[in-house]
Amino acid sequence: MTNASNANDLALLYRVGRGDRGAFSELYRLYQPRLYGYLRRLLPDPTTVEEVLDDVMLVVWKDARKFRGQSAMSTWIFGIAYRKAMTALRSEIRYQAPLDRSTDANAIADKTSPDIDWIRAALVHLSPDHRQVVELTYFSGFSYAEIAAIASCPINTVKTRMFHARRRLKVLLPALAGQAREHDRERA
Amino acid sequence: MNARKLMPHEEAIELLPWLINDSLSGDERDTVLDHARSCVICRRETKALENLRDSVKRVISPAPIPAPDMRNINARIDALIHRQNLGRRWLSWIAEFCVSPWRIAFVAQTVLLVVLGTAVLWPTTRNAEFTTLTQSQDLADGHYLRVVFSPDLTHARLGVLLDDLGLAIVDGPSERGVYTLATQNSMTVAERDIALTHLSNHRSVLFAQPVDLGAAP
Repeated sequence: MTNASNANDLALLYRVGRGDRGAFSELYRLYQPRLYGYLRRLLPDPTTVEEVLDDVMLVVWKDARKFRGQSAMSTWIFGIAYRKAMTALRSEIRYQAPLDRSTDANAIADKTSPDIDWIRAALVHLSPDHRQVVELTYFSGFSYAEIAAIASCPINTVKTRMFHARRRLKVLLPALAGQAREHDRERA
Repeated sequence: MNARKLMPHEEAIELLPWLINDSLSGDERDTVLDHARSCVICRRETKALENLRDSVKRVISPAPIPAPDMRNINARIDALIHRQNLGRRWLSWIAEFCVSPWRIAFVAQTVLLVVLGTAVLWPTTRNAEFTTLTQSQDLADGHYLRVVFSPDLTHARLGVLLDDLGLAIVDGPSERGVYTLATQNSMTVAERDIALTHLSNHRSVLFAQPVDLGAAP
């Protein structure tokens, strides 16, 4: 993010902090596509996504004055979204896991050319923490330092989570990881 | 000559996902790339990660993003503002009320009166939560005795003792092992006292006293 856009973001947030509804609408429209995409990739139910998105933006409205600029505004907003998404993800896993995770991990790994459903199934097999790191890295394009700020954890934790997520995905999707032949050989 | 410090393999391979998403700082990026050039494993891993990223992106990206609908969030903010305004109105009313020292004095006096009134009128006498050996409501007519027997007294010997003295157990044992014994109706106070003396001198009786005597020894 450039300094200019960060300065614009800060000005916008300052106005939101003063109760400017117009500024809030502007901020909402600015972040809605990114936040929706981020949440939609993590949460299967579109209604939940919209609810969580509104929860995030309500916190932004309430806490705009508390933002001290210690990180980029996008990092702050995604930090809020991260925590809300984690809560929603954990409750999704608690209540809907038998349906979503019913696909056997070995069955996923057996596919030599995974299709959309198989990749989706593989992602569901990652823990919420690992999925978040994969999502924030590959889709939202955050650096590891930004992800550490978003997730409120040390940088090394981010790297470790990514390491485990990669290892799990390699096992689940060997064809995508370019290891189909090795994998087939091992299994043979 | 390349002055950059070589990055250990473990460190470089950890950073590959962020090399791929192009978020590494300039120096870090160059150092990882330097390592990858000479490391077959990292090159293969980079390729695999790119492959994975592209596939995963293809899978999930097509989700259509709906047009922003702010009706719900606006309603929630309106409700929030309403609650905040209500709180502010109360605070300003209190602040306005407290401007006059006479009002503050009036409120303080009222509170003090309520506190004092409560303290004065609140019932302070409570029934004792303990019992004494002689505590009784209806037994103080001279016909009843409180007795504590020794634990080694058998049931048979107790029966013989009570028969000999013309006594009968009417209550007990209490939590403290106290029995209430009744004398025969025809028994005079003098006869009762003889029975009491006999009981007091018996080696299996630890304590004996008439109910109407008052407090326990």
